[in-house]
Amino acid sequence: MPPSRLPFSRDQQQVRFFMMRSPASARHPTSRELLEWRDAYLLVAPALLFFLAFVIYPLLSTVYLSAFDYSLTGGSLRFVGAANFAELLEDEVFWRALRNNGTILVVSVIVQCGLGLIIAALLDRAIRRGQALFRTLNFIPVIMSSVAVGVLWQLVYDPSVGLANQIVKMLGFTPPKQGWLGDPDLVIYSILLVACWQYTGYVMTIVLAGLQSVPMELYEAAELDGANEVQKFFSITIPSINNVLIAVTLITMVGAFKVFDLIYILSRGGPANSSQVMGTYIYYNAFTVNRGGYASAMSVVLLVFALCLGLLQVRMSSRSREVA
Amino acid sequence: MKLRPFSLLAYGFVASYSVMVALPIVWMFLSSLKTVRELFTTPFGLPVDPQWQNYAKAWSGGIGLYLWNSTTVTLTSVLFIVVVSTLAAYALARLRFPGRLAIYLLLIAGFAVPVHTVLVPLYRTLNWLSLLNTQVGLIAPYVAFGIPFSVLLLYAFFLEFPAEIEDAACIDGCNTFQTVGFIVIPLSLPAVVSVIIFQAVFLWNEFSLALIVIRDDWLRTIPLGLTKFQGQWATDWGVMLAALSLATLPLLLLFLLLQRQFIRSLAGFSK
Repeated sequence: MPPSRLPFSRDQQQVRFFMMRSPASARHPTSRELLEWRDAYLLVAPALLFFLAFVIYPLLSTVYLSAFDYSLTGGSLRFVGAANFAELLEDEVFWRALRNNGTILVVSVIVQCGLGLIIAALLDRAIRRGQALFRTLNFIPVIMSSVAVGVLWQLVYDPSVGLANQIVKMLGFTPPKQGWLGDPDLVIYSILLVACWQYTGYVMTIVLAGLQSVPMELYEAAELDGANEVQKFFSITIPSINNVLIAVTLITMVGAFKVFDLIYILSRGGPANSSQVMGTYIYYNAFTVNRGGYASAMSVVLLVFALCLGLLQVRMSSRSREVA
Repeated sequence: MKLRPFSLLAYGFVASYSVMVALPIVWMFLSSLKTVRELFTTPFGLPVDPQWQNYAKAWSGGIGLYLWNSTTVTLTSVLFIVVVSTLAAYALARLRFPGRLAIYLLLIAGFAVPVHTVLVPLYRTLNWLSLLNTQVGLIAPYVAFGIPFSVLLLYAFFLEFPAEIEDAACIDGCNTFQTVGFIVIPLSLPAVVSVIIFQAVFLWNEFSLALIVIRDDWLRTIPLGLTKFQGQWATDWGVMLAALSLATLPLLLLFLLLQRQFIRSLAGFSK
């Protein structure tokens, strides 16, 4: 599932709406206001209860548990202070996982956003016939489950008879000796290829919608001035969809920290932890080696990253209306 | 339109990229009808003698059951999400009450929380509630994690909703709950459809939570079921590819039927 965009629309309006103080907050509420409050709380209650019980409470528990030696299979809950975090600093696999998330972030921003932008621009400027078909086709992987995609690509990457090797041989190259997923230096890139395969179409779709709202007159004016396609791309296309580009970049960045399914299916973080990411390493610690407290400490680190990116996303999307 | 060299180049690039995207999927459907031998001798050819029994094996190997499980879990969760989110979003957008800003900010923060940061306490809570290894134990967190996105989307929609219509309802003597049920929800269908599609696709494909909550084979959802196939049918690619095809087909067909709505919802266009 693609990481989602913030569903904001009239942001300025939203902000202003919240700047207004509740009329009753300063004085004693009238009975009509009390009735409105009662209705409001009744309406909000079901959503809020679910949300508090299964998102906010677990979130606070994570922070709490990160200070304990704790096993999910029962028994121990021993306070250890900051020991889990101290251990994290020494844990090479943790740093490996963090670095892999970083690699995924950088590569997927460059490939998914770069390629997505190029294809969207080509579709918008040069391709009339078949535009809808290309768009549909590229969106299909987006709705597929990443587990199905992972299992499919595992077959594609099969070292003896997989599609990838057949194609590489057909083009006259030699396939990697230890296999696409068996080489510790290659595995994360093999998985990244799958992620880019799945989500470039998503970025492309969003960017294409942005491009289609760029007024034709701008391009026509540039043509009169004798601009070529490349010049038009850099002086008109990019600046006009600046906000959309920032939005898709942030979405892709958020997605880089949520990676789990593909890695779990394709490599389980292996070989020898070389493709471990935060998500899979948290899962491994919590459910494979029963170190719930340690996994929670790691979750806190991941949470800090996620909240920072989330904050950035909110600020960016409330700065411009087009993003929504 | 005149075909300039630039256009040709553009077609060439986009078409070859699209072929790369389509290739594994086409290969999946084609190969699901082949014998293991044929799969390796003619990887791109049409199946000579379509092996429909691959599908029968995949179905009886559990895919039928997993599809049913995913359908129940997804539909129940989406129903709950839509109902509770609509009510909450309406209150946030239309009514004045203390704590509104706090709730709104809390939802936005919740939107950024990756599910992997709460796996440990969630497992603990569900265990305490005796909900581990049950569908309810899966649905409850699904609803909770679906709420922030849905409330924010519906909230943005309700802000633009003309207040005159509700005022007219008030004059006719509707209370708040009647106004929401009879006026607001029916008139908000486009936004509600967006929420339904977004959450349904997400939940149909959800894996991490299912992995920690569900243990029994007969309760597995589709993504979890596929991991079983990955182990058990690892040598019979035809059956495994049939299972993958069966897992992919329901959403794929829905997507092809409702393309505009799917793209609008998933890519987050407000119009």
